[in-house]
Amino acid sequence: MLSDPFTVFAIGCAAVAAVLLIWYLAVKPALSRATKLVLLFAIGILPIGTAANGNVAGYHATKTREFCSSCHVMTPFGDDSSNPSSTSLAARHGRNEAFGDENCYTCHADYGMFGTITTKLGGMRHVYEYTLHFHQLTVEQALPRIHIRTPFPNATCIRCHSTEAPGWRRVGDHRSLLDRIRAGTVSCASDGCHGPAHPFAQVAHIRAEQAAAAAEGAPR
Amino acid sequence: MTRLLQISAVLTLLGLVLMVWSMIAPTPMPVILAMSVGQLVGTLAFGMFGYAVLVDQLRKQRAKGAVAAAAAAAAVTSIAQAAGEAAAGPAGSTPAGSAPTVEAPP
Repeated sequence: MLSDPFTVFAIGCAAVAAVLLIWYLAVKPALSRATKLVLLFAIGILPIGTAANGNVAGYHATKTREFCSSCHVMTPFGDDSSNPSSTSLAARHGRNEAFGDENCYTCHADYGMFGTITTKLGGMRHVYEYTLHFHQLTVEQALPRIHIRTPFPNATCIRCHSTEAPGWRRVGDHRSLLDRIRAGTVSCASDGCHGPAHPFAQVAHIRAEQAAAAAEGAPR
Repeated sequence: MTRLLQISAVLTLLGLVLMVWSMIAPTPMPVILAMSVGQLVGTLAFGMFGYAVLVDQLRKQRAKGAVAAAAAAAAVTSIAQAAGEAAAGPAGSTPAGSAPTVEAPP
């Protein structure tokens, strides 16, 4: 937490502002020019410093895996992607230094000029869904209901796997499906290819579907 | 104005607490609260401070203007009194209504 300079600066500004404000509230000095100047720092300049640096620190914090899995229904996703022995696509990417502890954000962030904004708006949708629909559920109840809102775009994979590297081109399936991969008509994360990034979630979906089918077929 | 500034100081402290909480425990609820309620409360407090200072300044200027006006009025009154006394003049001096004599230059 205190390794982030923005956080340190923000907390420092807040601490100085708090000392000045408590002094003002305790001593109750007359409203002279000096008091106004002190209050300008305590109510204006220092809190603005805290807010500005706090926004940057908060933005950094919202990109971490710890933040994403702080909602209990996301715990299995975070646990799997940070598990060193897991072979899921998410875990293998999480072990990559370029993804590190921001692997959720790196893969799920939208691309493009306003990608950050649309990603954050999507995050607010997650908060809405969690607060109204998932907060009361257990992880087992929630897992079959959690699904990605739009299919995972190949463009996200192509950001790093450019489809141009000789090693990538050596794979026969890549070569034969190149145009369809680039067009996004064949998903990198489809079952015949690399499979879903979070396979345990797919297992939960299949189990829930089987249970529903069995319930429908059961004699009443 | 003092009460307004005290409320403003308390609101600022509340906003700061929310912001610091979001940095100490960066989970969704504190971060969302800090970036919405915390900043709204902080902005409101700063607005109240600006209003209080502006009103105080205007009051002081008005008071200063009133003092200046009173001083000017007093000065005018004293000048008028002095002029009246000069016009009445002491006994044996230039009679009232006659123009003072001016000696011609040599």
